[in-house]
Amino acid sequence: MYLYLYDNFLRQKKFDAVIRAIETRLTDFGIAGKILRLQPFTNTEAVIEEERKRGASTVVIVGDDTTFGHTVSRAASCPILFGFLPIGEENSIASVLGIPAGVEACDVLSRRRKVKLDVGWMSNRNRFFISQLHIPTADITVAYDEKFVVSSKHGGMELVVCNLQPFVWREKGRDDYIVHPQDGKLEAFLRPIARKGLFRDTYEEPSIFPFEEMIVSGRAPFVVEADGNTTKEKKIIIQLAKRRIEMIVGKERKF
Amino acid sequence: MLDAMFQKPISSTAPKMESMKTDVRREDSVETVVGPSVVVEGDFSSEGNIIVKGTVSGSVHTTKLLRVEEGAKIFANVKAGNAVVAGTIRGNAKIAERLELVSSGRIAGDIDCKVFVIEAGALVNGKITMAGMEADEGRPEKKSNFGRMKVKSSEKEDSVM
Repeated sequence: MYLYLYDNFLRQKKFDAVIRAIETRLTDFGIAGKILRLQPFTNTEAVIEEERKRGASTVVIVGDDTTFGHTVSRAASCPILFGFLPIGEENSIASVLGIPAGVEACDVLSRRRKVKLDVGWMSNRNRFFISQLHIPTADITVAYDEKFVVSSKHGGMELVVCNLQPFVWREKGRDDYIVHPQDGKLEAFLRPIARKGLFRDTYEEPSIFPFEEMIVSGRAPFVVEADGNTTKEKKIIIQLAKRRIEMIVGKERKF
Repeated sequence: MLDAMFQKPISSTAPKMESMKTDVRREDSVETVVGPSVVVEGDFSSEGNIIVKGTVSGSVHTTKLLRVEEGAKIFANVKAGNAVVAGTIRGNAKIAERLELVSSGRIAGDIDCKVFVIEAGALVNGKITMAGMEADEGRPEKKSNFGRMKVKSSEKEDSVM
Protein backbone atom coordinates (compact mmCIF):
# COMPACT_ATOMS: atom_id res chain seq x y z
CA MET A 1 0.00 0.00 0.00
CA TYR A 2 1.21 3.51 -0.83
CA LEU A 3 1.13 6.39 1.64
CA TYR A 4 1.41 9.91 0.21
CA LEU A 5 2.66 12.70 2.48
CA TYR A 6 1.66 16.08 1.04
CA ASP A 7 3.42 19.21 2.25
CA ASN A 8 1.20 21.96 3.61
CA PHE A 9 2.29 24.47 0.93
CA LEU A 10 0.60 22.34 -1.74
CA ARG A 11 -2.76 23.74 -0.55
CA GLN A 12 -1.99 26.86 -2.57
CA LYS A 13 -4.15 27.27 -5.64
CA LYS A 14 -1.23 27.42 -8.06
CA PHE A 15 -0.42 23.77 -7.36
CA ASP A 16 -3.98 22.47 -7.89
CA ALA A 17 -3.45 21.61 -11.56
CA VAL A 18 -0.21 19.68 -10.94
CA ILE A 19 -1.68 17.81 -7.99
CA ARG A 20 -4.75 16.83 -10.01
CA ALA A 21 -2.59 15.64 -12.91
CA ILE A 22 -0.35 13.63 -10.58
CA GLU A 23 -3.29 12.00 -8.82
CA THR A 24 -4.82 11.03 -12.17
CA ARG A 25 -1.54 9.52 -13.36
CA LEU A 26 -1.11 7.60 -10.11
CA THR A 27 -4.62 6.20 -10.43
CA ASP A 28 -3.86 5.16 -14.04
CA PHE A 29 -0.78 3.28 -12.84
CA GLY A 30 -2.78 1.71 -10.00
CA ILE A 31 -0.47 3.08 -7.33
CA ALA A 32 -2.80 5.62 -5.72
CA GLY A 33 -3.01 5.37 -1.95
CA LYS A 34 -3.76 7.11 1.31
CA ILE A 35 -3.03 10.85 1.43
CA LEU A 36 -1.88 12.63 4.59
CA ARG A 37 -1.18 16.36 4.78
CA LEU A 38 1.87 17.37 6.81
CA GLN A 39 1.44 20.19 9.30
CA PRO A 40 4.35 22.15 10.80
CA PHE A 41 4.31 20.05 13.98
CA THR A 42 3.54 16.64 12.47
CA ASN A 43 5.76 13.91 13.88
CA THR A 44 6.47 12.10 10.62
CA GLU A 45 8.28 9.22 12.31
CA ALA A 46 5.21 8.38 14.43
CA VAL A 47 2.85 8.80 11.48
CA ILE A 48 4.91 6.53 9.21
CA GLU A 49 5.38 3.93 11.93
CA GLU A 50 1.63 3.83 12.56
CA GLU A 51 0.79 3.54 8.86
CA ARG A 52 3.44 0.84 8.44
CA LYS A 53 1.65 -1.21 11.09
CA ARG A 54 -1.56 -0.72 9.12
CA GLY A 55 0.08 -2.15 6.01
CA ALA A 56 1.82 0.75 4.23
CA SER A 57 4.85 -0.49 2.30
CA THR A 58 5.88 2.66 0.44
CA VAL A 59 5.94 6.24 1.69
CA VAL A 60 5.90 8.89 -1.04
CA ILE A 61 6.92 12.42 -0.08
CA VAL A 62 5.18 15.09 -2.16
CA GLY A 63 6.77 18.54 -1.99
CA ASP A 64 10.17 20.20 -2.31
CA ASP A 65 13.68 19.82 -0.82
CA THR A 66 12.52 21.08 2.57
CA THR A 67 9.66 18.57 2.72
CA PHE A 68 11.99 15.76 1.71
CA GLY A 69 14.70 16.68 4.22
CA HIS A 70 12.24 17.28 7.04
CA THR A 71 10.43 13.97 6.51
CA VAL A 72 13.36 11.66 5.82
CA SER A 73 15.55 13.04 8.60
CA ARG A 74 12.85 12.05 11.08
CA ALA A 75 11.77 8.82 9.46
CA ALA A 76 15.13 7.36 8.36
CA SER A 77 14.96 4.86 11.21
CA CYS A 78 11.69 3.36 9.82
CA PRO A 79 12.32 0.24 7.72
CA ILE A 80 10.16 1.33 4.79
CA LEU A 81 10.63 2.21 1.12
CA PHE A 82 10.61 5.94 0.28
CA GLY A 83 9.53 7.65 -2.91
CA PHE A 84 9.55 11.32 -3.90
CA LEU A 85 7.28 13.42 -6.12
CA PRO A 86 8.95 16.82 -6.47
CA ILE A 87 6.64 19.83 -6.79
CA GLY A 88 7.70 23.46 -6.44
CA GLU A 89 10.74 25.53 -7.28
CA GLU A 90 13.37 24.33 -4.79
CA ASN A 91 13.99 20.80 -5.99
CA SER A 92 17.72 20.18 -6.32
CA ILE A 93 17.63 16.84 -4.46
CA ALA A 94 15.16 15.43 -7.01
CA SER A 95 17.60 16.07 -9.87
CA VAL A 96 20.35 14.24 -7.94
CA LEU A 97 17.97 11.32 -7.43
CA GLY A 98 17.06 11.39 -11.13
CA ILE A 99 13.41 12.25 -10.50
CA PRO A 100 11.86 14.78 -12.91
CA ALA A 101 9.55 17.46 -11.52
CA GLY A 102 5.78 17.24 -11.91
CA VAL A 103 3.74 14.47 -13.51
CA GLU A 104 6.75 12.65 -15.05
CA ALA A 105 7.87 11.72 -11.53
CA CYS A 106 4.95 9.25 -11.39
CA ASP A 107 6.62 7.19 -14.13
CA VAL A 108 9.80 6.91 -12.02
CA LEU A 109 7.70 5.96 -9.00
CA SER A 110 5.86 3.22 -10.89
CA ARG A 111 9.12 1.67 -12.13
CA ARG A 112 10.28 1.13 -8.52
CA ARG A 113 14.04 1.26 -9.16
CA LYS A 114 15.26 0.84 -5.58
CA VAL A 115 18.59 2.06 -4.20
CA LYS A 116 19.92 2.19 -0.63
CA LEU A 117 21.23 5.64 0.26
CA ASP A 118 23.79 6.86 2.78
CA VAL A 119 22.59 9.49 5.24
CA GLY A 120 24.30 11.72 7.78
CA TRP A 121 23.74 10.92 11.43
CA MET A 122 24.18 13.19 14.43
CA SER A 123 25.00 10.38 16.81
CA ASN A 124 24.87 12.32 20.08
CA ARG A 125 21.45 13.75 19.13
CA ASN A 126 20.01 10.64 17.44
CA ARG A 127 18.99 12.62 14.36
CA PHE A 128 19.52 12.01 10.67
CA PHE A 129 20.06 14.50 7.88
CA ILE A 130 19.64 13.73 4.24
CA SER A 131 20.58 16.81 2.24
CA GLN A 132 22.85 19.06 4.30
CA LEU A 133 23.88 20.28 7.72
CA HIS A 134 24.86 23.89 8.21
CA ILE A 135 26.65 25.65 11.06
CA PRO A 136 26.68 29.45 10.55
CA THR A 137 29.90 31.25 11.43
CA ALA A 138 31.04 30.28 14.92
CA ASP A 139 34.27 29.68 16.81
CA ILE A 140 34.47 25.94 16.21
CA THR A 141 37.12 23.24 15.99
CA VAL A 142 36.58 20.19 13.82
CA ALA A 143 38.21 16.78 14.37
CA TYR A 144 38.02 14.36 11.44
CA ASP A 145 37.97 10.59 11.76
CA GLU A 146 39.95 10.90 15.06
CA LYS A 147 43.03 11.65 12.94
CA PHE A 148 43.39 15.37 12.41
CA VAL A 149 42.00 18.61 13.79
CA VAL A 150 41.06 21.64 11.68
CA SER A 151 40.86 25.16 13.06
CA SER A 152 40.92 28.67 11.64
CA LYS A 153 43.68 31.24 12.12
CA HIS A 154 41.11 34.03 12.57
CA GLY A 155 38.66 32.20 14.86
CA GLY A 156 35.26 31.95 13.18
CA MET A 157 34.30 29.33 10.61
CA GLU A 158 31.18 28.38 8.71
CA LEU A 159 30.58 24.67 8.11
CA VAL A 160 28.40 22.88 5.58
CA VAL A 161 28.18 19.11 5.39
CA CYS A 162 26.77 17.74 2.13
CA ASN A 163 25.28 14.34 1.67
CA LEU A 164 23.32 14.21 -1.57
CA GLN A 165 23.81 17.51 -3.35
CA PRO A 166 26.91 18.51 -5.32
CA PHE A 167 28.78 21.58 -4.13
CA VAL A 168 29.65 24.39 -6.55
CA TRP A 169 32.42 26.73 -5.51
CA ARG A 170 32.78 29.83 -7.66
CA GLU A 171 36.05 31.75 -7.72
CA LYS A 172 36.15 35.19 -9.27
CA GLY A 173 37.96 35.12 -12.60
CA ARG A 174 38.77 31.43 -12.33
CA ASP A 175 37.12 28.16 -13.30
CA ASP A 176 34.47 26.67 -11.04
CA TYR A 177 35.07 23.70 -8.83
CA ILE A 178 32.31 21.15 -8.69
CA VAL A 179 32.71 18.51 -6.07
CA HIS A 180 30.41 15.54 -6.33
CA PRO A 181 29.60 13.84 -3.06
CA GLN A 182 31.26 10.46 -3.12
CA ASP A 183 29.47 7.30 -2.21
CA GLY A 184 30.51 6.14 1.22
CA LYS A 185 31.70 9.57 2.39
CA LEU A 186 30.26 12.86 3.59
CA GLU A 187 31.77 16.13 2.38
CA ALA A 188 32.50 18.99 4.77
CA PHE A 189 33.02 22.54 3.48
CA LEU A 190 34.65 25.00 5.85
CA ARG A 191 34.70 28.73 5.18
CA PRO A 192 36.81 30.67 7.66
CA ILE A 193 35.79 34.27 8.15
CA ALA A 194 38.35 36.75 6.81
CA ARG A 195 36.77 40.05 7.90
CA LYS A 196 33.63 40.97 9.79
CA GLY A 197 31.63 43.69 8.09
CA LEU A 198 28.69 45.77 9.26
CA PHE A 199 26.42 44.48 6.52
CA ARG A 200 28.26 41.48 5.21
CA ASP A 201 31.11 39.25 6.37
CA THR A 202 33.96 38.40 4.01
CA TYR A 203 34.94 34.76 3.80
CA GLU A 204 38.13 33.03 2.76
CA GLU A 205 38.23 30.28 0.15
CA PRO A 206 36.50 27.16 1.45
CA SER A 207 38.31 24.04 2.56
CA ILE A 208 36.90 20.64 1.60
CA PHE A 209 37.33 17.44 3.59
CA PRO A 210 35.65 14.11 2.88
CA PHE A 211 35.05 12.15 6.07
CA GLU A 212 33.19 9.34 7.77
CA GLU A 213 33.14 10.74 11.29
CA MET A 214 33.52 14.31 12.45
CA ILE A 215 33.39 15.93 15.87
CA VAL A 216 32.50 19.61 15.91
CA SER A 217 33.09 21.41 19.19
CA GLY A 218 33.00 25.04 20.24
CA ARG A 219 33.84 27.04 23.35
CA ALA A 220 30.39 28.62 23.22
CA PRO A 221 27.16 26.97 21.97
CA PHE A 222 26.73 27.24 18.21
CA VAL A 223 23.71 27.00 15.89
CA VAL A 224 23.18 23.78 13.92
CA GLU A 225 20.70 23.59 11.05
CA ALA A 226 20.05 20.10 9.72
CA ASP A 227 17.35 19.64 7.08
CA GLY A 228 15.36 22.60 8.34
CA ASN A 229 15.71 21.86 12.07
CA THR A 230 17.66 24.43 14.08
CA THR A 231 19.25 23.68 17.44
CA LYS A 232 22.05 25.05 19.60
CA GLU A 233 24.84 22.66 20.47
CA LYS A 234 28.24 22.71 22.15
CA LYS A 235 29.49 19.48 20.62
CA ILE A 236 28.13 17.32 17.84
CA ILE A 237 29.31 14.04 16.37
CA ILE A 238 28.46 13.59 12.71
CA GLN A 239 28.74 10.15 11.20
CA LEU A 240 27.88 8.48 7.95
CA ALA A 241 25.08 5.94 8.22
CA LYS A 242 25.79 3.75 5.23
CA ARG A 243 22.89 2.42 3.12
CA ARG A 244 20.43 3.57 5.74
CA ILE A 245 17.32 4.35 3.69
CA GLU A 246 15.80 2.59 0.72
CA MET A 247 14.59 4.94 -1.96
CA ILE A 248 12.96 4.80 -5.39
CA VAL A 249 15.25 6.64 -7.80
CA GLY A 250 15.33 7.47 -11.51
CA LYS A 251 17.60 6.16 -14.21
CA GLU A 252 19.22 9.62 -14.55
CA ARG A 253 20.44 9.74 -10.93
CA LYS A 254 23.83 11.33 -10.35
CA PHE A 255 25.54 8.73 -8.15
CA MET B 1 23.13 42.98 17.00
CA LEU B 2 23.19 45.30 14.00
CA ASP B 3 25.19 42.71 12.16
CA ALA B 4 22.53 40.08 12.79
CA MET B 5 19.75 42.49 11.82
CA PHE B 6 21.18 43.26 8.43
CA GLN B 7 22.31 39.78 7.66
CA LYS B 8 20.63 37.85 4.90
CA PRO B 9 18.52 34.83 5.85
CA ILE B 10 20.72 31.96 7.00
CA SER B 11 20.05 29.86 3.94
CA SER B 12 21.63 32.50 1.74
CA THR B 13 24.80 32.68 3.82
CA ALA B 14 25.42 28.98 3.24
CA PRO B 15 27.59 28.13 0.23
CA LYS B 16 25.23 27.76 -2.69
CA MET B 17 24.30 24.32 -3.84
CA GLU B 18 23.53 24.44 -7.50
CA SER B 19 22.80 22.04 -10.28
CA MET B 20 25.59 20.81 -12.48
CA LYS B 21 24.60 22.87 -15.49
CA THR B 22 27.62 25.17 -15.23
CA ASP B 23 30.49 24.88 -17.65
CA VAL B 24 33.26 23.32 -15.67
CA ARG B 25 36.71 22.15 -16.62
CA ARG B 26 38.12 20.97 -13.33
CA GLU B 27 35.21 18.72 -12.46
CA ASP B 28 36.02 15.86 -10.09
CA SER B 29 39.66 16.89 -9.89
CA VAL B 30 39.42 18.15 -6.32
CA GLU B 31 38.60 16.05 -3.34
CA THR B 32 40.37 17.61 -0.37
CA VAL B 33 41.30 21.28 -0.09
CA VAL B 34 43.04 22.91 2.86
CA GLY B 35 42.17 26.61 2.57
CA PRO B 36 44.63 29.48 3.09
CA SER B 37 43.72 30.40 6.66
CA VAL B 38 43.04 26.88 7.87
CA VAL B 39 45.38 25.02 10.20
CA VAL B 40 45.38 21.22 10.11
CA GLU B 41 47.06 19.29 12.91
CA GLY B 42 47.46 15.52 12.97
CA ASP B 43 47.79 12.68 10.50
CA PHE B 44 46.16 14.02 7.40
CA SER B 45 45.36 11.34 4.85
CA SER B 46 43.08 11.15 1.84
CA GLU B 47 42.34 8.68 -0.91
CA GLY B 48 41.94 11.46 -3.48
CA ASN B 49 43.78 14.55 -4.63
CA ILE B 50 44.86 17.07 -1.97
CA ILE B 51 45.38 20.80 -2.46
CA VAL B 52 47.13 22.57 0.41
CA LYS B 53 46.83 26.35 0.57
CA GLY B 54 47.15 26.71 4.35
CA THR B 55 49.25 25.09 7.06
CA VAL B 56 49.50 21.40 7.86
CA SER B 57 51.37 20.02 10.89
CA GLY B 58 51.60 16.28 11.27
CA SER B 59 51.84 13.94 8.33
CA VAL B 60 50.28 14.08 4.87
CA HIS B 61 49.42 10.96 2.91
CA THR B 62 47.63 10.43 -0.38
CA THR B 63 47.90 7.89 -3.15
CA LYS B 64 47.04 10.53 -5.76
CA LEU B 65 48.17 14.10 -6.45
CA LEU B 66 49.35 16.47 -3.75
CA ARG B 67 49.48 20.14 -4.75
CA VAL B 68 51.17 22.54 -2.32
CA GLU B 69 50.26 26.06 -3.42
CA GLU B 70 52.42 29.16 -3.03
CA GLY B 71 52.40 30.36 0.57
CA ALA B 72 51.28 26.98 1.92
CA LYS B 73 53.38 25.28 4.58
CA ILE B 74 53.65 21.62 5.50
CA PHE B 75 55.59 20.80 8.67
CA ALA B 76 55.47 17.07 8.22
CA ASN B 77 56.61 14.05 6.29
CA VAL B 78 54.75 13.74 3.02
CA LYS B 79 53.77 10.63 1.06
CA ALA B 80 51.98 10.99 -2.27
CA GLY B 81 51.52 9.44 -5.68
CA ASN B 82 52.50 12.64 -7.52
CA ALA B 83 53.27 16.10 -6.16
CA VAL B 84 53.52 19.67 -7.39
CA VAL B 85 55.17 21.94 -4.82
CA ALA B 86 55.03 25.73 -4.97
CA GLY B 87 55.01 26.21 -1.19
CA THR B 88 57.20 24.97 1.64
CA ILE B 89 57.65 21.43 2.95
CA ARG B 90 59.69 20.93 6.11
CA GLY B 91 59.98 17.17 6.26
CA ASN B 92 60.77 14.20 4.10
CA ALA B 93 58.88 13.78 0.82
CA LYS B 94 58.30 10.27 -0.51
CA ILE B 95 56.65 10.52 -3.91
CA ALA B 96 55.81 7.33 -5.79
CA GLU B 97 55.98 8.84 -9.27
CA ARG B 98 56.67 12.46 -10.20
CA LEU B 99 57.67 15.39 -8.03
CA GLU B 100 57.55 18.85 -9.57
CA LEU B 101 59.16 21.71 -7.68
CA VAL B 102 58.32 25.11 -9.14
CA SER B 103 60.41 28.28 -8.64
CA SER B 104 58.71 29.30 -5.39
CA GLY B 105 58.93 25.78 -3.93
CA ARG B 106 61.09 24.90 -0.92
CA ILE B 107 61.79 21.47 0.49
CA ALA B 108 63.85 21.06 3.65
CA GLY B 109 64.12 17.30 3.94
CA ASP B 110 65.00 14.15 2.06
CA ILE B 111 63.30 13.46 -1.25
CA ASP B 112 62.49 10.05 -2.66
CA CYS B 113 60.83 9.92 -6.09
CA LYS B 114 60.97 8.38 -9.55
CA VAL B 115 60.88 11.56 -11.66
CA PHE B 116 62.07 14.90 -10.28
CA VAL B 117 61.39 18.16 -12.11
CA ILE B 118 62.90 21.30 -10.57
CA GLU B 119 62.51 24.85 -11.82
CA ALA B 120 65.20 27.53 -11.50
CA GLY B 121 64.84 29.33 -8.18
CA ALA B 122 63.47 26.39 -6.21
CA LEU B 123 65.34 25.36 -3.08
CA VAL B 124 66.11 21.88 -1.81
CA ASN B 125 68.01 21.09 1.35
CA GLY B 126 68.30 17.35 1.78
CA LYS B 127 69.21 14.05 0.20
CA ILE B 128 67.59 13.11 -3.10
CA THR B 129 67.06 9.42 -3.83
CA MET B 130 65.62 8.28 -7.12
CA ALA B 131 64.62 4.78 -8.09
CA GLY B 132 66.15 3.29 -11.22
CA MET B 133 69.80 3.52 -10.24
CA GLU B 134 71.47 1.28 -7.68
CA ALA B 135 73.45 3.10 -5.00
CA ASP B 136 76.70 1.22 -5.80
CA GLU B 137 76.31 1.45 -9.59
CA GLY B 138 79.04 3.51 -11.25
CA ARG B 139 81.44 3.50 -8.29
CA PRO B 140 84.94 2.21 -8.98
CA GLU B 141 85.41 -1.23 -7.46
CA LYS B 142 87.69 -1.24 -4.42
CA LYS B 143 90.38 -3.87 -4.32
CA SER B 144 90.32 -5.59 -0.98
CA ASN B 145 93.52 -6.47 0.77
CA PHE B 146 91.95 -9.52 2.28
CA GLY B 147 93.44 -11.97 -0.30
CA ARG B 148 96.93 -10.62 0.08
CA MET B 149 96.73 -10.73 3.83
CA LYS B 150 95.67 -14.34 3.68
CA VAL B 151 98.62 -15.25 1.47
CA LYS B 152 100.93 -13.52 3.86
CA SER B 153 99.56 -15.40 6.82
CA SER B 154 99.88 -18.74 4.96
CA GLU B 155 103.46 -17.81 4.04
CA LYS B 156 104.06 -17.18 7.71
CA GLU B 157 102.66 -20.58 8.61
CA ASP B 158 104.87 -22.16 5.97
CA SER B 159 107.89 -20.47 7.37
CA VAL B 160 107.06 -21.76 10.85
CA MET B 161 106.66 -25.28 9.55
